[in-house]
Amino acid sequence: MSTANIQPVDPLGQSTGQSTFRSKWSRIKSGIMYCVCAGSTFFILSLLVLVIGYLISIGFSSINKAFFTMDPIPTGMANAPGGMRNALVGTAVLIFLASLIGIPIGMMTGVYLAEYDVGSRIATPVRFICDVLAGVPSIVVGILGYELLVRPLGSYNGWAGAVALAFIMVPIVARTTEEMLRLVPDSYRQASIALGANKAVTILKIVIPSGTASIVTGVMLAIARVAGETAPLLFTALGSRFSPITFDSSFPFMHATIDKPFPSLTAQIFSYASGADVDERRLAWAGILVLIGLIFFVNVSIRFATRSKRST
Amino acid sequence: MTQLAAEIPPPAPPADISIRQRTQFLSSDLILRWVTAGSAVIVILMLSSLIFVLAQAALPSIKAFGFSFLVGSEWRPNSLPGDPMLDAKGHVVIEDGEVVTKMIPPAFGALPVIWGTAVSSILSLIVAVPLSLGAAIFLVRAASRVLIGPVSFLIEFLAAIPSIAYGLWGLFVLCPFLQAHVEPGLNGFFEHVPGLRWLSSTSGALTGRDMFAGGLVLGIMIIPIITAISRDVLRQVPRAQIEGTVALGATWWESCREMLTFSRSGLFGAIMLGMARAAGETMAITMVIGNNNQIKSSLFAPAQTMSSLLANEFAEASTEIHRAALVEVALVLLLMSLAFNVVARYLVVGKQSRSAAAH
Repeated sequence: MSTANIQPVDPLGQSTGQSTFRSKWSRIKSGIMYCVCAGSTFFILSLLVLVIGYLISIGFSSINKAFFTMDPIPTGMANAPGGMRNALVGTAVLIFLASLIGIPIGMMTGVYLAEYDVGSRIATPVRFICDVLAGVPSIVVGILGYELLVRPLGSYNGWAGAVALAFIMVPIVARTTEEMLRLVPDSYRQASIALGANKAVTILKIVIPSGTASIVTGVMLAIARVAGETAPLLFTALGSRFSPITFDSSFPFMHATIDKPFPSLTAQIFSYASGADVDERRLAWAGILVLIGLIFFVNVSIRFATRSKRST
Repeated sequence: MTQLAAEIPPPAPPADISIRQRTQFLSSDLILRWVTAGSAVIVILMLSSLIFVLAQAALPSIKAFGFSFLVGSEWRPNSLPGDPMLDAKGHVVIEDGEVVTKMIPPAFGALPVIWGTAVSSILSLIVAVPLSLGAAIFLVRAASRVLIGPVSFLIEFLAAIPSIAYGLWGLFVLCPFLQAHVEPGLNGFFEHVPGLRWLSSTSGALTGRDMFAGGLVLGIMIIPIITAISRDVLRQVPRAQIEGTVALGATWWESCREMLTFSRSGLFGAIMLGMARAAGETMAITMVIGNNNQIKSSLFAPAQTMSSLLANEFAEASTEIHRAALVEVALVLLLMSLAFNVVARYLVVGKQSRSAAAH
């Protein structure tokens, strides 16, 4: 509202003279806009609840025991289409490997940004780059993984998929770690230094332990994010109908084939959804339900963790 | 501790201890400092390697097509047989009883996919921005405390749903619905309104998998993101600003409008972040946009975006130049989203720190 619009108001709160019509109209307009805002909120919520509700209900009607216990079986054979056990294992392995690479880098970057910021020339650009990296389209990351790890090695492989996912995790973990460490009160640091600890001991023994709960939620957020990523896996891990981990009697009894095309839940959902097989499509719906369940679980636990943090 | 202290008979000279401790501490301090600084440098390397590797891999295409890559509208990965080849006398060359033809080399122009990305992002903003801003205002200015918690949770949860879930829903629920119930009526409307004829379908076949569906799905996907960011931006408006307008007799909406004006650059940033997300979105749009490299003004024609082109063709690209051209598309997409993100972050964060300073 610009100053020109402000009407003189008398002390009794009634508008003077000719502005009566205007003030009545502006009150009506205000009421209309209030309804528009409230309406758009409830429209958004009902639309999104409709979408998610549909996904969840069709997922529940499609999921069964075979989904978790069987590998895919090609169309036309007995027990087709089988299940998505291989993809569940594949996604778990990919997330594990990506976490192994991405979480240490991300966390240490976060520590650097939060604790060594003062007098550092690279903290500001690094923080900015983290924000920008978080907005890079994930399919572009997939192409980077292809150029770096698939083309030189000559085959789609699990490592490339894990590295691509780690690439997506790093900025998320770094920024949440930084934000969570900044929430740790400065008095903790001062007390630790007053007791004779140096900065490294303060960070490792005082600051990080008191921020652990919230850092873990940040890490879980990153894991939930990459668990649902499809685009970076299309040109790196590609996908596979076979289980990535096999068991046999020879040492070490468990064999992982990571240097071959590697299955993942999301890539398999995409290929099933693009196909014409109705049974496989049911598996895709069930897979979506598993993903949504994972994300819901992470979001609820984050909410729980941050709420208990606030109340203390 | 006390036991230990009792067991140590004569304390060593104090100077010694402090020097030993100091050097030990200094080294552990330095190690942590350098290790964490090292991973911060890795983050810088990640971005630079992203740009460098993509530029390197796109080089054959950049060299071959130059600037015309961005404005060319033909995307043809394979060579085509063209006119018959003529010999010096002007006769058709025949070998083994067959006419020898000149081969037209493959052509790569990214204009259709740039167009597709731009139009689908703009459509998604038309869907998402009014609803998101309305909801953000409602959450900041009107909703009761009881409501804010669950609604915020729901919006954050929805922002985290993977795009393939929206894609599956779009493909199997939204597209058939649009094809059966929405598009015929809308198309008829466009055909009969003189100024809007260009929006209607020219071929007559409505598939439900087209630009319109793509824009809708993207819009639904970015609603939670724009709502969440603009809600945070609006919360940064100083209380005194709002109270001042109310004290001057402004109605609810007038003070909301003042809020919008006050945080306009932050809101613009929020919208840009949403648009960047829409432009880089891959899975959902690949599943609903119909995947056809063409520039059509019709809302109901299948189209292609940069990301859906990559998702469709990259794994199957067999020739070097085809792959390089696809990487160049990825490079354009990357640079575009970097530019958007840089500007948007500046608007959102810059505004927030400025208003925080004003407190």
